[in-house]
Amino acid sequence: MKRMLSVVVAVGLALSLASPAGAQQDTLAKVKDSGVLTIGTRTGSPPFAYINKNNEWVGFSIDLVEMLVKPEVQKAVGKPIKIEKKESTPPTRIPLLSSNAVDLIAGTMTDTPQRREVVDFSLTFFYTGAQFLVKKGSPIKSVNDLAGKRVAAQQGSTNAKILREKYPQAQLREFPDQPAAFQALLQGQVDAYTNDGIQLYGLKAKAPKPDEWDVVGDFYSEEPYGMAMRKGDAKFKAAVDAGLKNGFESGKYFEIYETWFGPKGELPYPMTPQVKAYLLKQIGK
Amino acid sequence: MNYQFKWSVLWSGQSGVWLLQGLITTVEISALAWVLAAALGILSGALRTVPWKPARALATFYVEFFRNVPLLVWMFFWYFGVPPLLPRAVQDWIFNHGAEFWAGTFALGVYHGARMSEVIRSGIQAIPRTQFEASVAMGLTTFQAYRLVIVPIALRLIVPPATSESLNLLKNSSVALTISVAELTFQTRQIETYTAKAIEALTAGTVIYLVLCVGIAAIMARVERRFAIPGLIARGG
Repeated sequence: MKRMLSVVVAVGLALSLASPAGAQQDTLAKVKDSGVLTIGTRTGSPPFAYINKNNEWVGFSIDLVEMLVKPEVQKAVGKPIKIEKKESTPPTRIPLLSSNAVDLIAGTMTDTPQRREVVDFSLTFFYTGAQFLVKKGSPIKSVNDLAGKRVAAQQGSTNAKILREKYPQAQLREFPDQPAAFQALLQGQVDAYTNDGIQLYGLKAKAPKPDEWDVVGDFYSEEPYGMAMRKGDAKFKAAVDAGLKNGFESGKYFEIYETWFGPKGELPYPMTPQVKAYLLKQIGK
Repeated sequence: MNYQFKWSVLWSGQSGVWLLQGLITTVEISALAWVLAAALGILSGALRTVPWKPARALATFYVEFFRNVPLLVWMFFWYFGVPPLLPRAVQDWIFNHGAEFWAGTFALGVYHGARMSEVIRSGIQAIPRTQFEASVAMGLTTFQAYRLVIVPIALRLIVPPATSESLNLLKNSSVALTISVAELTFQTRQIETYTAKAIEALTAGTVIYLVLCVGIAAIMARVERRFAIPGLIARGG
């Protein structure tokens, strides 16, 4: 009996370790076979990816995939494909990608050097930085006012990492997703919630009483968003990048930006000239 | 898929310290919650068998209410639902003094107390009714009969299922990460954030849980042998 147990344990471990190694390498071939491109995205990060009032799963990142990346991938595989969406959070997105459960992460993932060792990133499609959401009139005005304050962040996010390393005087509380962190702020479990500025504006706009909240502080981190894919899949990366590049060149990207972030968009957030220059520099303009 | 394994992430940098901190938090929250669960379980399990209807009804309500709602919901209940009932100054004080940990402990302890209760009740009901009647005939009150005779025998009968339940409690403590308790699973995710090496981090967590649980199971197997009542438990091979 004991021997059988150890065999079972050994086989289980071996399987769990071997499966990612034995998986498919060529995403385009996989998409061609199945006719489906599976993206990992968010359900609670407006306006990038969220469930809207009509219970539809929409957002800026999803539109970029549908309108810019999908045509390129279809061209590469030579047939029409479908986009399928799966929920992926900061702690689950890289494992989902490595295990082939999703083919592309298109949500709010920051392109960092550490992550680049494990996954490949597309061209940057959005640029923001970390700030704080606080109750109006809060003594917290910037990252320098955090001594002894309780600050919520998302587990697995770059913001949590920076706070832990550089601002240990804050009491960090880490929640798995945005709704839980915001609930904690709403009820006073924490004094501030830190995330990428654009997401905080999105959250504030969606709050029951938007006027009660303020987004404060200068960017204390740089957060360029990219779409992530399995490492070393050059053909697939080329297709994704070509889609985004075409979008920047034709202006289609900026049209999509306007629908979400323009004056009539879900979240008015005019693009600064610096950000525009940053995005265009990627395609040599 | 060309996943590059890099096991050194587990002992380079701060990973080792984090895993140790996570392990300590997991053991702490589980031990405290276990004490709570055992106390509530013994009390409500015994009450469910006493010859007094209101006590049985109260214990039944506790068991059915707490074991039939998901643990995750209880975590949110104790963390988000309970504090607003307290005065503002008290709230601020507990939020600054580990509200997450205590909410997690209560959620885990009260939930598993309800499950433990069923284990204890089955142990009590496995004891022939005549045992209780004999105790009362000897002049013991109902309370004395339970305290001195019924519960001690039941506890010796239920070691195997109670062990299972305790291991469940230990593993379920990982749900506390949803309310920001930095236990073992939380720390494995943190390592993943820093190193982007998910499989290594998850494997480390898995092995630690496995070793911890197998260790407890081995100790409990000794306890079971030591306290088995000859004649009441048939010994198998």
